[in-house]
Amino acid sequence: MAEPVIQFDRVCKSFDGHPVLRDFSLSVERGEFLTVIGRSGCGKTTALRLVNGLISADTGWVLVKGQDVAQADPVALRRGIGYTIQNVGLFPHMTVEKNIAYVPSLSKSPLWKGEERSRRAAELLQTVGLEPDLAGRYPRELSGGQRQRVGIARALAAQPDILLMDEPFGAVDEITRRQLQDEILRLHQERGITILFVTHDIEEALKLGTRVLVMEEGRATQFGPPSALLSSPATPFAAQLVRRSRDFAPRQ
Amino acid sequence: MELIQAILALYRERGGWFLGLLWDHFLLSGQAILLSGSIGLLLGIFIAQRPRLAPAVMGVCNVLYTIPAISLLGILIPFTGIGNKTAVIALTIYGVMPMVRNTYVGLTTLDPDILEAAAGMGSTAMQTLLRVKLPMAAGVILAGVRNMVVMTVSVAGIASFVGAGGLGVSIYRGITIYDPAMTAAGSILIASLAVLLDFLLGRVEKHFKKYGS
Ligand SMILES: Nc1ncnc2c1ncn2[C@@H]1O[C@H](COP(=O)(O)OP(=O)(O)O)[C@@H](O)[C@H]1O
Ligand SMILES: [Mg+2]
Repeated sequence: MAEPVIQFDRVCKSFDGHPVLRDFSLSVERGEFLTVIGRSGCGKTTALRLVNGLISADTGWVLVKGQDVAQADPVALRRGIGYTIQNVGLFPHMTVEKNIAYVPSLSKSPLWKGEERSRRAAELLQTVGLEPDLAGRYPRELSGGQRQRVGIARALAAQPDILLMDEPFGAVDEITRRQLQDEILRLHQERGITILFVTHDIEEALKLGTRVLVMEEGRATQFGPPSALLSSPATPFAAQLVRRSRDFAPRQ
Repeated sequence: MELIQAILALYRERGGWFLGLLWDHFLLSGQAILLSGSIGLLLGIFIAQRPRLAPAVMGVCNVLYTIPAISLLGILIPFTGIGNKTAVIALTIYGVMPMVRNTYVGLTTLDPDILEAAAGMGSTAMQTLLRVKLPMAAGVILAGVRNMVVMTVSVAGIASFVGAGGLGVSIYRGITIYDPAMTAAGSILIASLAVLLDFLLGRVEKHFKKYGS
């Protein structure tokens, strides 16, 4: 069996004496689309930030492609992992094109020089369903949904094989949200990347995930395919989640 | 009315002399502006990276800032003598404070989400500083530059008290020979220079503020 791409091994993490992750273990296979669902404050963002080393575990290990994150060079590690944060965080002083080209420009990638940069940025804009002529705009000139898409394009630019997405579709209307969900599904299928996707929307978690992780107060309480979560929720919280979503079709 | 006529007469008769003083004034304040601009910027960046040092550094800058200009010049004379050098040093010490304050505030009040994104995408500390933090803080920093430039140009007017050049020479002479028109003529040029620079920097600042947040 293939080695997991991301692995949490009995991770504990506290902030100011408050445990946020407790004995948290998880194995993510290559090419998996893992959706993480749980109440606000249950430690979802904390788990993501452990993967790219923005914070480090108090005890236990986090391994990315077999390498201990605590031992890895954080800069090199992060450049190989796409990351979209909860509030997009586009750079306001850069055009859309420069935002998208940010990671390649950090590593001075020759693939992103001069006209190549414009061509590749335009290509990525199309990939996330945007018009290429948005390239020259500034983030403040975009709608919420457009910003989310640019954030995804930016995370994809360096062709990472892992993508961490923290409630990426939080701030958009229902229709845009559906569209974005379909885009990300298509991207996942086309590129075969491993995605860790945090959401607090059960419908979204079931629709997108090849597997769903339920978190409660820093613990992983259920982990399995969406159909299993629907048919046999393991905890009262999980049961409560799925009761509201029986009508939705889970990902096959 | 008489005063205005006397001032205009002075400009007519001694235009070359005033232009020379204006140029000297520009050079004198220019040196101090470059010095306090770069020292203040570096110091501001330094304490923004090490917030624990910030209160102490800002405290010292504040104290220096509150020393009356004339006594700062007096204190410096025994160490650096009289002339332009002393004036430049005093003006630099003054100008550092608004620069440090604005650089520090600009760099430490940035949107944490954007900093999270910058770090999460694998920027080194230097890349984050140069590509994200400084450009985003540019509006606030430029407000400090503007503040500092106007102050330096105007305080440079008393530099002639320690034998430095610039328009202070005409102010000082006006006082000693009891010729108010001479004093006013110099002051008007200082004020005009300050207003002009303030306007120009205001334009630059506005440009950067637009993209600041
Ligand atoms: N850097 C931090 N410092 C202090 N407390 C934090 C920090 N990051 C997260 N927390 C706390 O940890 C808990 C879990 O946060 P988080 O992982 O962001 O939750 P979620 O993303 O599931 O909403 C919260 O109570 C939050 O206040
Ligand atoms: Mg969160």
